[in-house]
Amino acid sequence: MDCPIKTQENREWLLDYSAGRLDRQHAVMIEQHMETCPDCARFVRDQRVVWEALGQWEPQEISADFNRRLYQKVGQAKPASWLQLLWRPLVPVVAACLLIVASVALHTPTATPPVESVEPEQVERTLDDLQMLRELALTPPQEAKTPQPM
Amino acid sequence: MGASLALDCDAQLMLRVKDGDGASFALLLDKYRVSVTHFLYRMVQDQPVAEELAQEVFLRVYKSRETYEPTAKFTTWLYRIATHLALNWLRDGKNERGQERLDEAADEGPVRELPDRAPSVEQRMVQRVKVDEVRRAVAALPAKQRAAVLMHKYEEMEYSQIAKILNCSESAVKSLLFRAYETLRVRLAHMA
Repeated sequence: MDCPIKTQENREWLLDYSAGRLDRQHAVMIEQHMETCPDCARFVRDQRVVWEALGQWEPQEISADFNRRLYQKVGQAKPASWLQLLWRPLVPVVAACLLIVASVALHTPTATPPVESVEPEQVERTLDDLQMLRELALTPPQEAKTPQPM
Repeated sequence: MGASLALDCDAQLMLRVKDGDGASFALLLDKYRVSVTHFLYRMVQDQPVAEELAQEVFLRVYKSRETYEPTAKFTTWLYRIATHLALNWLRDGKNERGQERLDEAADEGPVRELPDRAPSVEQRMVQRVKVDEVRRAVAALPAKQRAAVLMHKYEEMEYSQIAKILNCSESAVKSLLFRAYETLRVRLAHMA
């Protein structure tokens, strides 16, 4: 088999083997591999140390009145009233309605008139018109330009 | 999944709780009270807090009875609630007092002893120091790694179930466990 540490494949077999949880077929494969792989052999040895150390950690006894305290809390937990039961399925509907109202309110036009969009051609035309007016103002009266009779 | 759920007698008990059968709730409580409290104790390392959190777990189970649907194994649901509460408690920094307790807890809690010979006072002290080192090493792990290790080691859960409880992929759980055990191998190497 390929080395689980080097290939990163089936690495959990090493954990399971160290914990004694690997099935016999795969355990034999790991054992054969470890004969030629010092890295995996070291991994299993160190992991077993961790496993045994964790096994020494026993939790404390649970309080004798655990159940009594729990049932006291259970008794205090009132069942949902008919109003709560009725309200619960309505919550998403109400939330959706509120969202719609909020979005409508945000998009409603206000007293301020909307800014009209201005096309580039329109700007150019206006500038042309202004230029033409300026030229007209500078141009002398037409009569002055009348050629003198020969 | 449907077939496996059909065999989950805990889920069937929970469905009876849903139908108002208090005795089924008592059965579930008796079955899982110890394991859930021990899991929470190892997570938060404070016995009174662990018991409070465990009570909250079963209270939530009871309160959720009316909306319960057996969409997963009962224990997956149960430990998801427990893990959620423990991670929240750790995240909210409520563990400061717990860490103080951990510092002074070297003489607290039972230690597994060999039944065939009574250990001397010195052996007991050495054993307690070792257990304290284990607790510190576990407490130093990031919360999610800690949860994964505790479920893997003490609850003997499959990678797939741990993944469902932690709401991540199976490969993510394996990575969590490898990183956690790597840290523990370094910290506890001298215990060989």
